[in-house]
Amino acid sequence: MAYIVPSSADTLEDQRLYTQARLTEVACLDCLARVGVKKNSEHHTSIQWHAESLAECTEFRRLDAAPTGRPIRASCPRMQASIDAAVRDGQLTIGAEDGY
Amino acid sequence: MLDTGSVPERFARGWHCLGLATDLADGTPHGVEAFGGKLVVWSDTQGNINVLDGYCRHMGGDLTQGSVKGDEIACPFHDWRWGGDGKCKAIPYARRVPLRARTARYESVVRNGMLMIWHDAEGSPANHDILPPELEGIGTERYTDWTWNVLDVPTAHCGEIVDNVVDMAHFFYIHFAFPTNFRNVFEGHMATQFMESTGRPDMAGEGYGDEDLILKSEATYYGPSFMINWLETDYKGFLTKVILVNCHVPTGPNSFKLQYGLAVEKPDGLDDKTARYIAKKYSDMFGDGFLQDVHIWLNKAPVQNPLLCEEDGPVYQLRRWYEQFYVDAADVTDEMTERFEFEVDTTKANEFWRAEVEANLSRKAAEDATATT
Repeated sequence: MAYIVPSSADTLEDQRLYTQARLTEVACLDCLARVGVKKNSEHHTSIQWHAESLAECTEFRRLDAAPTGRPIRASCPRMQASIDAAVRDGQLTIGAEDGY
Repeated sequence: MLDTGSVPERFARGWHCLGLATDLADGTPHGVEAFGGKLVVWSDTQGNINVLDGYCRHMGGDLTQGSVKGDEIACPFHDWRWGGDGKCKAIPYARRVPLRARTARYESVVRNGMLMIWHDAEGSPANHDILPPELEGIGTERYTDWTWNVLDVPTAHCGEIVDNVVDMAHFFYIHFAFPTNFRNVFEGHMATQFMESTGRPDMAGEGYGDEDLILKSEATYYGPSFMINWLETDYKGFLTKVILVNCHVPTGPNSFKLQYGLAVEKPDGLDDKTARYIAKKYSDMFGDGFLQDVHIWLNKAPVQNPLLCEEDGPVYQLRRWYEQFYVDAADVTDEMTERFEFEVDTTKANEFWRAEVEANLSRKAAEDATATT
């Protein structure tokens, strides 16, 4: 009873490629959160959080405590800074591979 | 090769909007096509809006053609009376009402002036924790009344409109705007698009194509079908706050009704008539935009394995998020709901698009010059 019902096995491989390939772990410099990051270019960023990391993020906890009226947390500036630092340190490489 | 897949066998779990409460609560029965059938909607003497299966559980009479008698909806075929709780309350010609006489009922809530109903193929009770948020100021003097429009999309799955959440480039080609900033965040039952755009000067007057129009947009789906879009528009220095609701109801396995409504925060010093005029203008503009989308959906093929370039948004992650509403609640995985962020790099795209627009403008200027000589 799935939404995406592919008729080809290659589609499953595409799903894996686009959602999981080339994610580099980046640790927040300020808290215990760790996320999977992909940067295809300087301005592109893809960030995969996991439930445990999200609970660790002190910035999001602070935002939750002082809600602005909208439930969406746009981004964590500390994690953004940590990702920028990972790029500077050469821990995270910028570059795309054939569109994914 | 394009994998067209197959359409989902069920309708999404979650809250769906059937329309404006004021339109539905006028004391008469309303028929609403939804979830492969027809629903009957009416308001009782207490003003509660009730939603039941549109066909009488007795012999299938069309309740939407019946009448409201007291608090109940009466079937035009044999006058069976149904209450908002889904129970048969009276059968005027019968010694007694069978104990088993119940029909399918949808839990409903009026939120922000809109009738929301809960649908779940598994029959779970409504989850009020995931209703869209209450919009502060809506329904007061601060905002214009909702505009409301419905578009029929008879040959496409409603997943097509959800895909727009991540579709950066279609804003240039379909809606005639330069998206200069584009970000997505998915988390839990919510999927958000943050976008800033300006209109295309070569498409003045069409779609969002007015170079003097700057849009700052934050749009969130609360569940599978209901999006609230907070817009700040800047037209030649005139700032307007607009709330646009974009929602849909699936009518069949491969069809849906798209509904959109809009309210404008009344600018200081402007009379109501002018504020309503501004709301109408924006409603027409977004309406034109939706029609441009509908034209694409009615002619395109469904795609399960889209081929993406670096400038595209996270289509696969969005669909992974969207799938949570189609599987059993017990089968929702962490991946479907875990937070995911994506920022599209729009720099190259905008460079190429600026050049394309410049070329269009020069060509048009040359044509105009030839025409006048």
